[in-house]
Amino acid sequence: MGDGPASPLATERTASPHPRAVPRHVACVMDGNGRWAAQRSLPRTAGHRAAETTVIDVIEAARAAGVGWLSLFAFSTENWSRPNTEIAFLMHLVRRVVRKHAPLLHARGIRCRFLGMTDPRIPPALGRDIADLMTLTEQNRRMTLTVAFDHGGRRDIVEAARSLIRSGVPAEAVTEESFAAHLPFPDTPEVDLVIRTSGEQRISNFMLWQVAYAEWIFPPALWPDFRAPDFLDCLDAYRQRERRFGGVLPHQNGESRS
Amino acid sequence: MTTTDSTQSPTAGAGPGDHATKDHTGAGEPLFGPGSQFHRLFNDPRWALAMIRATVLEAAHPQIGAALIENSTFVVHPWRRLGNTFMSLRRMFGPDDQVRQREAARLNRMHARLQGTDARDRPYDARDPGVRAWVVATLFESTVTMCRLGGQPLEQKTMEQLYAEFQAFLAAMGDDTGHLPPTLDEFWPYYDRVVDEELENTEAMRIILYKLFDHLPAPPLLHGFPALWATGRTVAGPVVGAITVASLPESFRRRAGLPEIAGVETLMQGAYLVAGLARFLPEGWLQADKIAETVMLSPDSDDPRARTMAALREQMKRAGALIRLITPLPPEPEPTAAPSAQRSAEEFFAEVLDQTGDGYLDWPDLAAMAREMAGRLDLDEPEETRLYNAYADWWRELQAALDADGDGRVSAREYAAAVPSLAGPALIRVAEVLFDVTDKDGNDRIDAEEYRTLFRTGFRRDTPDADGTYSRSAFINDFLSFMSARRRTTPYDPLLADA
Repeated sequence: MGDGPASPLATERTASPHPRAVPRHVACVMDGNGRWAAQRSLPRTAGHRAAETTVIDVIEAARAAGVGWLSLFAFSTENWSRPNTEIAFLMHLVRRVVRKHAPLLHARGIRCRFLGMTDPRIPPALGRDIADLMTLTEQNRRMTLTVAFDHGGRRDIVEAARSLIRSGVPAEAVTEESFAAHLPFPDTPEVDLVIRTSGEQRISNFMLWQVAYAEWIFPPALWPDFRAPDFLDCLDAYRQRERRFGGVLPHQNGESRS
Repeated sequence: MTTTDSTQSPTAGAGPGDHATKDHTGAGEPLFGPGSQFHRLFNDPRWALAMIRATVLEAAHPQIGAALIENSTFVVHPWRRLGNTFMSLRRMFGPDDQVRQREAARLNRMHARLQGTDARDRPYDARDPGVRAWVVATLFESTVTMCRLGGQPLEQKTMEQLYAEFQAFLAAMGDDTGHLPPTLDEFWPYYDRVVDEELENTEAMRIILYKLFDHLPAPPLLHGFPALWATGRTVAGPVVGAITVASLPESFRRRAGLPEIAGVETLMQGAYLVAGLARFLPEGWLQADKIAETVMLSPDSDDPRARTMAALREQMKRAGALIRLITPLPPEPEPTAAPSAQRSAEEFFAEVLDQTGDGYLDWPDLAAMAREMAGRLDLDEPEETRLYNAYADWWRELQAALDADGDGRVSAREYAAAVPSLAGPALIRVAEVLFDVTDKDGNDRIDAEEYRTLFRTGFRRDTPDADGTYSRSAFINDFLSFMSARRRTTPYDPLLADA
């Protein structure tokens, strides 16, 4: 379920020798907005604003390439320590982006979900718009866009552990699968590919459980400069790697490992 | 549900009629049930307009107006009231004589509880046969007028038969037919005389015309779309009021000083005409009682119709979400706090306790709760009186504890200031009596069927005990936690708080 039909592009690609499918679940850590602005002597906020174009570009590219699940790391639990003005700006920006692109996302058959979103500091108006966007698009299946907003990978795991304990499962009965069922959005498949822009090579507490077997790519471009062709390059690189190790890895494309 | 198809031939159950009154027509046409004129008109969408008009004419009668102002919950809970009215009409005009007699007895008991004095110290009594005759008269006259304004006036013979049916309706209530003139020819002078001499510009009438539709709360099914509902209401509310005024008898409009607005006459006739066009819809598309019931359904109910509606609700939810998302942002984002699990004292007062919506807690508010529960449980005597008495005792307890200024009623402020421990012995007694009358088979347990009768939905997952029933102590606990801890989202919410 949740797997959109393969696009023509994907079919074409699988025609290459030793084909590997387009990754089922791609995650992007959107890094480099601040540096992008600093390079241009602009306020950091200008970098966030410029990120909007990339977000839409990448969503469109992923959808066209037949990626079924796209996750974007927008705002971590640690980001609350940034200056208040920047946070206020970010909240306002997200709200504007959500409202502006909601009809487009819906028309494109994209199901939108927000991972995290528990902090009371999130403005109620933004919370309502995000809830509306989730409601509006919940029946869509062409692609699932998960936006990690106010997200922390460890917190999700801790929450899952709590929920598991509350459900009274005996310790011996806990398996990887039963544990994963207590994570938020348990229907989300494993991440196949993580793209972290701006050359930084860290995990930063992002979807820790789900990235366990992911391939990582670190393109040097800053997020606001990152575009659809760069995204497609990353998909190609992912497939090349797989061709190098073809068939050896037991686990492919988000299939359950058991 | 009875078939309300006019085209189907009357079958076995049709037309046992009331033999005493049947002779009026002499034609042998059934006075009740399928085949009657009332049945033929029952699903007509113009009824919506005609019923509002009839209600205004009733409210303009000083005695009825006073009873409405003092006792009625229609301003705060109009949809519940509408649903109850439909249910009652269906029983009264249905083919089954036994059901009719029971319903008449119930209405009589209810009316016996509605008496008092109005603001000018004039007594009112809902059992007054002259007053009840006027109610029936407005229903009949509004039906006739509805057909006239809709461009299909009734033929004299049809009108006579319809009149006989309404006379039989009054007779079924046990009232002398003498309070309605015996023939249709004598009816019109009677009607004109009451309009000219007895009707007044009452407060109840003004509330219906100018307040009810401007503030009409969304029916339970549309909870969660306040913006959508409010937008539609802003347009429709004043129009409904204006249309109703335009359809009232001219002499009364003049005397009551109701405004004449240019063009509304045409608008009114247009509305009746358009509503009348719905008769060209396929059979069964419009079933007034089904519509009324559906609108009344609480979205959380597990009624199969609610499930069907759930799909529609999903659509509506998405439409609502899209509309909110594409609506340009207001200059100031309004903070909307999520409702907490517990009501504040003010919220509880307004949503649950003050059933009549006059800002005070008084006996009629508690009587309305008893009435709603007795209606749902379809209580007979002596259970009904037991329930009312329990509520009356609770009222005395509340009055003694909360009425600080001694004006005989409890204001929202008095209630909030006391931050009351509502769970006195009399309230516990109410819970016990409610349990007894809900437990129809008297086995000291409430089973799923008995539960459904009261709450119109099945058990929640955590309700029943291990043996699949609801125990007395759990029932009493839940009732008290709703009434005194003001807990939300219990099954009592749809019962007492929904519009």
